[in-house]
Amino acid sequence: MPQTKRRTKQVVMENKEESSPERKLQCNDVSKCFQLLERILDGELVEGGNEMLQEKLDKCQPCFAHFHLEQAIREVLKTKCTKQPVPDKLAESIRQMIQDAR
Amino acid sequence: MSDVQRRKYSQEERSTIFDGEFMPHIDSMYNFAFRLTFDEDDAKDLVQDTYMKAFRFINSFEQGTNAKAWLFRILKNSFINDYRKKSKKPATVDYQEVETFYNSDDADYQRTSDLRAESVRDMLGDEISNALNALAVDFRTVIILADLEGFTYEEMAKILDIPIGTVRSRLHRARNLLKDTLKGYAQSMGYATDEEED
Repeated sequence: MPQTKRRTKQVVMENKEESSPERKLQCNDVSKCFQLLERILDGELVEGGNEMLQEKLDKCQPCFAHFHLEQAIREVLKTKCTKQPVPDKLAESIRQMIQDAR
Repeated sequence: MSDVQRRKYSQEERSTIFDGEFMPHIDSMYNFAFRLTFDEDDAKDLVQDTYMKAFRFINSFEQGTNAKAWLFRILKNSFINDYRKKSKKPATVDYQEVETFYNSDDADYQRTSDLRAESVRDMLGDEISNALNALAVDFRTVIILADLEGFTYEEMAKILDIPIGTVRSRLHRARNLLKDTLKGYAQSMGYATDEEED
């Protein structure tokens, strides 16, 4: 899975421009496309996913915007919601409980 | 590999597994517990209970398999069995109902299509955290497992005892609900969205 995510990132790096004349402004199959993009971002790569992703990012503005929004949400969740400080003595008390249980 | 080959671990092996494979996940476990209970003491108890259970049932853990997923499954079950019951908070919305209510994908996308990646990136940690915490527990859980902890759909299916298809759809709904909340924040912060009045 990490490998897939890395590859996905590479594809995206080449697509940084906000808008492009190449991209159509309407997506014909929003729910299908977006669900596919979401699966790719989750590392659940479907067969031929990288090619499909590249194609959509190049040619479809709604897909491009949705992909970057979804990516931003995953990033902020990962960076801003995982830092709950663990109580100092928790690990120690668990080790003690295990000792006592033996 | 199979159950037939499984044997009891020696005391030394148990210590090795516990310290080497279980304890390193304590930060993730605590974060998960805290986001389920919203209470430091409850989270602490939940993590302790989970590790006690993990130790008691260590023989059913197969060395070399995903210890983190195994631990998360125990924690989730402990939460449902012990903590959710005694919680004084009102029962969470039945997600079946919510899933039906939010069943129109196209409508979902239209509702949140004007939320922009940049405004999400500019939000404060508290806002992101509050938006996540505002989700009903079943939706919150899938986001935590997928986005905070990086579990695959397959691992999530095992942790939650639900089919992969359900993981996928629940995660999808959870993200849409989260985007609704974030969009509300973005508007109140004055970020440009289509609905903003000047």
